[in-house]
Amino acid sequence: MRRCSPTRWTTDVAKYTARPPRGDRPVLVLGISDVVVIEGEPAVPVSMHHLSAWGRWVRDVAIPDAAAQRLHELAEHFDIVWASEWGHNAHTAFREPLELPEEPWPFLPVQFDKLAHIRRYAGGLPWVWVDDPLVDLSGEPPECEDGIVVRVDPAEGILSLDVDDLLTKTRELVERRAKEDGENA
Amino acid sequence: MDTGTAYGLRLGQPLNELAQVGPGTPYGEVLRRYWHPVAKVEDATTRPVSLRVLGEELVLFRTRRGRAGLLHPRCIHRGASLFYGGVEDEGIRCCYHGWVFDTEGHCLEQPCEPDLGLHRDRVRQPWYPVEEQYGLIWAYMGPPEKKPVLPRYDTLEDLAADEQLIVNDQGVGGGGPAQLDFNWLQHWENVMDPFHVPILHARFSGNQFTPEMALIPEVSYEYTPLGVRSIQMRELGDGRQLRRVTEVIFPNLRVVASPKLASGQTNMIGWVVPMDDTNFRIFTVARDSDPDFLAKLRSTHEGKPWKELTDLEHQRLPGDYEAQKSQGSISLHSEDHLTTTDQGIAMIRRMMAKQHRAVAAGGDPVGVSFDESDRLVRIEGGNYFEGAPDAPLLADAVDD
Repeated sequence: MRRCSPTRWTTDVAKYTARPPRGDRPVLVLGISDVVVIEGEPAVPVSMHHLSAWGRWVRDVAIPDAAAQRLHELAEHFDIVWASEWGHNAHTAFREPLELPEEPWPFLPVQFDKLAHIRRYAGGLPWVWVDDPLVDLSGEPPECEDGIVVRVDPAEGILSLDVDDLLTKTRELVERRAKEDGENA
Repeated sequence: MDTGTAYGLRLGQPLNELAQVGPGTPYGEVLRRYWHPVAKVEDATTRPVSLRVLGEELVLFRTRRGRAGLLHPRCIHRGASLFYGGVEDEGIRCCYHGWVFDTEGHCLEQPCEPDLGLHRDRVRQPWYPVEEQYGLIWAYMGPPEKKPVLPRYDTLEDLAADEQLIVNDQGVGGGGPAQLDFNWLQHWENVMDPFHVPILHARFSGNQFTPEMALIPEVSYEYTPLGVRSIQMRELGDGRQLRRVTEVIFPNLRVVASPKLASGQTNMIGWVVPMDDTNFRIFTVARDSDPDFLAKLRSTHEGKPWKELTDLEHQRLPGDYEAQKSQGSISLHSEDHLTTTDQGIAMIRRMMAKQHRAVAAGGDPVGVSFDESDRLVRIEGGNYFEGAPDAPLLADAVDD
């Protein structure tokens, strides 16, 4: 595991402010490529979808058939924010195939080196970051104590996520953070 | 209170894993798994020339018997540069103590040593394999056991009787000088950015190409087995549609048809070859009956060629060079604010990251072939007019 670099914690980058999280639940940060879209040979049932970004461009992508259901499960427990190269197109392009709510989830327009953005966005909230291993250009995901980093199997995307395990770890993170906050108060 | 001011601004970083090209860098190792054009055939002569390719200094020459050689310039004897060497029948002789090396770095002679060098067969000047094709010298600078076959490209094959290959190393498509002085990736990924065309090349530069290119297209993007492709549809308002297909083929080939809209499969392709992290060259090969085809293709700014523009005109009529150079010597990619029009850029970067991952894991990047029968690369880029009775259709033009 690559340890988080302290310098990356404080690098001030995107000149963009995402809509803030609700604040009463942990934040779940989701990538898109090989998370809700499978780019290579899929190991789960997928369907092809013709996506459009306001008519500016179109792409045909493979989405796991059970991805929408998996997202709904996660949305019951987390505030979901997209962090991807799809930018503000993420929610609108995937709204129909993933049965997403009308109100777009917030987004962070980043492709690689997402950690600083995620931390800044989460503020003091507990966070979970689920993504494809390719976003870690160094080859290893960061090992973080202030959040949970999960890498999916690119052939299964978000369906490779063990939701029960993630919820358990998130509860532990919330409890640990609360205890630390109490000690620091 | 003012918000969003520049006070305390701290800038981000380049994606060095994708932008850097030197030995041992992630994408440098990807690039080293392919053949690259490094010079025009006529540049390899009995007068040695210095080249810088992928961050490495090299010397190119042609023996008096006609074989091209590409050697590391520092003589393995005492370090004098072979740039000052003398080319002979079988190799190049160092100016300092006269050691002679052939095109594969074998030491043929050490004139000051007993018997012309009792152990000369134990030393080797570092070298790279070269081949000649399409009027270019190609070099393979990667691990020898991974050397692929040198690809051929269908659009440059089977010339008609009145056609010829035209080779250009003066930066066709770069919109600036022959040697472009910024990171190569800024240029290469621009190929998958069709949305800049109606802005930069029409609204700002004046119509550099044709009126049709000033229309904002609807674009479809797709990964291909060799790279990324965009298909740009423009409604021309007269019942016709222009379907313009642009490709990048890994690791650095740009497939951009004439922006002046010659119809059909593109008759030219170009390689974006990094000299180092902040300089690159573009080697372009075209087929045409007009030997000046590529020279005539160079865009102008209100009728003036780029190199004749004043400082004020460069500012008032910016083109690709001004836009890409001003991104920085190496762009600060982490500062990028990816949005709708950046989908193609994001796809290139993602596919680059995949190749880096594949090579680091001991695998092969896309598109390399070790099979002589699998050398031919199919080019699909071009301008295809649809809806006009005598216009070529995409299906006809690219049908297998």
